[in-house]
Amino acid sequence: MNEIIQVEKLDVGYGDQVILKQLDFIINEGEITVILGKSGCGKTTILKTLIGLLPPLSGQVTFFGEKIDFFSEVSLQTLYKKIGVLYQNSALLNSLTLYENAALPIKMQYPELPAEIEREMVVSRLSQVGLGDSMDKYPSELSGGMRKRGALARAMILDPDVIFCDEPSSGLDPITAAGLDDLMRNLRDHFGITFVVVTHELRSIEKISDKALVLKDGSLHYFGEYKNIFTLKDPFIDTFFMKD
Amino acid sequence: MQENKKSIVLPEKFSIDKVPGVANEIKRLAKDQPIEIDLKNTRAFDSSGIAFINYLKRNYKNVSLRNLKPEFEKVFSMFTPVEKAGNGEVKGHEKTLRRGITRFKHSMGLGIETLGTRFLAFLKNSKAFLVLLADEIYYIIQYVLKRRGIYPGEIWNQLFFMAYKSYPIVSLISFLVGVTIAVTSAEQLRSFGADIYLANLVGFGMIRELVPLMTGIILAGKIGASITAEISSMKVLEETDALKTMGIVPEKFLMVPRLIAISMTIPLLVAIADFIGIFGGLLVGKFFLGIPAVTFYDQMLEAVDLTDFLIGQGKTLVFGWIIVISSGYKGFSVKRGAVGVGIATTESVVLSISLIIIVDCIFALILY
Repeated sequence: MNEIIQVEKLDVGYGDQVILKQLDFIINEGEITVILGKSGCGKTTILKTLIGLLPPLSGQVTFFGEKIDFFSEVSLQTLYKKIGVLYQNSALLNSLTLYENAALPIKMQYPELPAEIEREMVVSRLSQVGLGDSMDKYPSELSGGMRKRGALARAMILDPDVIFCDEPSSGLDPITAAGLDDLMRNLRDHFGITFVVVTHELRSIEKISDKALVLKDGSLHYFGEYKNIFTLKDPFIDTFFMKD
Repeated sequence: MQENKKSIVLPEKFSIDKVPGVANEIKRLAKDQPIEIDLKNTRAFDSSGIAFINYLKRNYKNVSLRNLKPEFEKVFSMFTPVEKAGNGEVKGHEKTLRRGITRFKHSMGLGIETLGTRFLAFLKNSKAFLVLLADEIYYIIQYVLKRRGIYPGEIWNQLFFMAYKSYPIVSLISFLVGVTIAVTSAEQLRSFGADIYLANLVGFGMIRELVPLMTGIILAGKIGASITAEISSMKVLEETDALKTMGIVPEKFLMVPRLIAISMTIPLLVAIADFIGIFGGLLVGKFFLGIPAVTFYDQMLEAVDLTDFLIGQGKTLVFGWIIVISSGYKGFSVKRGAVGVGIATTESVVLSISLIIIVDCIFALILY
């Protein structure tokens, strides 16, 4: 499998405050990697660093073998063309309809694209996430689950190599959350999309994870195949998964 | 000594409705004699009961407890304040005085440091403000040359909001200011036999000073607050982060349409406000001082010319940019969720109005 993201000796945090130290891991193409840990352990912080919103304190991140310069606008723009992000609050722009939200990356990055092609792309993506008949609605008119799916459609619109998801199931009922999990798995299986997901929903983790990245006490506690996680007999992991 | 002790037996449940009575009794009796609080019947406390017993233990040396059941000890220890209060020897007003003196010394000690910290923060904020201004000028030039980076049609949306929705209030205020200035001046001018100069006063004052200032202040409240509230909400809801990770520069996407729209709105609004404000003065001249409209108009043209009109336009344009940049700056620097949105919105209006008045003063010093 191709390596997409390589993280080496990465320290992340805010200002002088180091939240996670010496992280080393690799994200492979076509896998769903789940970032796990207790609340406040730095899951969202590392996600923010990986998507270029928070410069690391030290260490390096390479994307398809290319080192990311977090202080260079050109380097970050190259990164943004390869990723999509599903935010915890969906982060759909409230002043735009669902269609306009999903079309936003196209309009901004490729304004010269003919309108009918843009429409074709947007409609097909929104249909894939089951929102083909809600395109003219504003985010405020959609349910939490629909907003999440709409945000996922927007994240996928330019066929990114990786989609980062911050707590995709938070605030959703179990059935809607399960639907979102199925959607991610289908997208991985049928389109080969790589996902990096921050979550602590046990049912989601069980359903979607190929790899698990467990954070504890400011460092990487475990990184590897999810299916091997219970063979470790690790007290923290067993407690986390309520296996003790 | 034992026989002098006054015993108070607490009820079965020592709760907030019983505490004041017991407290008053102890306060009254404890001055003259030792007191014994008997808890033989007490089986339950609420937090006020526990707080009261803890307070007694710390502050009244001549009050003792009897028959406190061991199972309550742990509960009592959980309610012990970390920072212990005074020993009861200092009277209320002395305590207040001491606290005041301590605070004064503390603030004097920290005064220089606080001043220094604030000055550094002011420099940092000023730099961030000017960097945003420079960025926006760059983004506008970039947009004009490449026509990319902002949402199609957004300039028209902003124009509709800024111009169409603002002109009624700007017109009304300008009319009222024109009338007020004319009425307050009319009597004085009449007493000097200088009625006709009302036209000079209203024309010059409105075009060069009052219309730009009033329009700036109205737009700071109407448009500035709205821009800050919108941008700061977007920041809190991670919408600006989402824009960034879509490869869109939020400072360009959100600010450039507003800056272009305000630059197009201002000339129109100022022209309308000038006309309506002067019209208000003309009405006062005609009906209070009996100056015919044509005479008022001719006299006004002797006092003001195109340069004055353009100066008014230019000043208001600068005020418009101050409003949008201040509002954007406050919106993008928001912290602390919903509370932060409210604070940022208020601060942006205060900042905009303060800067408008400072810059207006600078204009006055340069232009007159």
